[in-house]
Amino acid sequence: MPQHDIRAATQVREAGLAKISMLTWRAGAAAVAVAGLLTAALGHHSAARAAPAGHRNEHGAIVIPAQPPGQTASTGQVTSGAS
Amino acid sequence: MTTSAITRDTFEVFGTTAVLLVTRPGAIGQARAIADGLLAQVDLACSRFRADSELSRLNAADGKPTPVSALFADLLAVALRAARLTGGDVDPTCGRALTGLGYDRDFADMRAAGGAPPRLTGAVGPVPGWARVRLDRGGRRVRLEHGAQLDLGATAKAWAADKCAEQIADRMDCGVLVSLGGDVAVAGQPPPDDWAIRVTDDHAAPDWAAGQTVTISSGGLATSSTTVRTWTLGGRQVHHIIDPSTGEPARSCWRTVSVAAGTCTDANTASTAAIVRGAAALDWLHSTGLPARLVRHDGTVETTAGWPYGDPGDAA
Repeated sequence: MPQHDIRAATQVREAGLAKISMLTWRAGAAAVAVAGLLTAALGHHSAARAAPAGHRNEHGAIVIPAQPPGQTASTGQVTSGAS
Repeated sequence: MTTSAITRDTFEVFGTTAVLLVTRPGAIGQARAIADGLLAQVDLACSRFRADSELSRLNAADGKPTPVSALFADLLAVALRAARLTGGDVDPTCGRALTGLGYDRDFADMRAAGGAPPRLTGAVGPVPGWARVRLDRGGRRVRLEHGAQLDLGATAKAWAADKCAEQIADRMDCGVLVSLGGDVAVAGQPPPDDWAIRVTDDHAAPDWAAGQTVTISSGGLATSSTTVRTWTLGGRQVHHIIDPSTGEPARSCWRTVSVAAGTCTDANTASTAAIVRGAAALDWLHSTGLPARLVRHDGTVETTAGWPYGDPGDAA
């Protein structure tokens, strides 16, 4: 297969994966938001309940990121690992 | 702005490696000065290995109410919040358990050749629990009940990364990434392609080490692992992530967990809790909507909540 075809196929694949990843995250965020609304409406409390996406809540819940991590083929600028 | 405009500084702090990246040319010197000032304050407040730290004085107070600084009160409040949000899986009263397991000095000293090997010096058992910590935040006083001893290692470093990034972005009006031993916080306007972060077991691993590279534009990303900061005790390998219910190193099905969250503090809280929770962490991370990458001891990977799929070359 010519080199440019391989590159194009790779780009299409990466774009597809990124779209799937974003859709999965959006569905998850929507589910969390709905669950939060239902919990609030029913007057229940859960320590682990997530805040809406990007909402900064100092006390009530672990805050989910404004958007999920993205896919990249580049090298990392830093490394996140245990120390 | 191009990636090449990003400037970098690397230095040692808290017994580990810190990396500072800023998007504004010429800003790195002042950014480093801001970080140095804040990190020195945090170290003096809550180092477990400095006799002159507030934490050491509090641990030695034998249950008496002890005045603390506003900074220490903030750090302790963050630790107690982490404990509450994780149902006690990330508990700041692990100090005695860690000391009992021989982790009673800076880890660099423990690794030093010729040093005395760690010994089991205390009884193993559940930690006293975060409810034994009485924080009067307004009055700036703390009392530790029932022999509780604090270790703020699970939250203080990540909180410091958040604060450094926030202060540098505000004062320098630029994009910034702060990594303290792999606890990564970003703030300000990110570079055009966002910040690229390699996730792997060890923050000091070379570029080619197994893992995955992802991008973030805000918040934080942290990784917890049972493969780093380990030592041998009585012929068995132990690590520093304590299961509060046993007072022993967590026996987790995960060797490494990376989490992205709204802050580095929350990311580290969740990654540490996931190690302690083991298999149950998957459902918990899904339900909280936290993007995460969990690696089993055999290298197989699970992801949650929109964490991007890795390439085959990223196999753990």
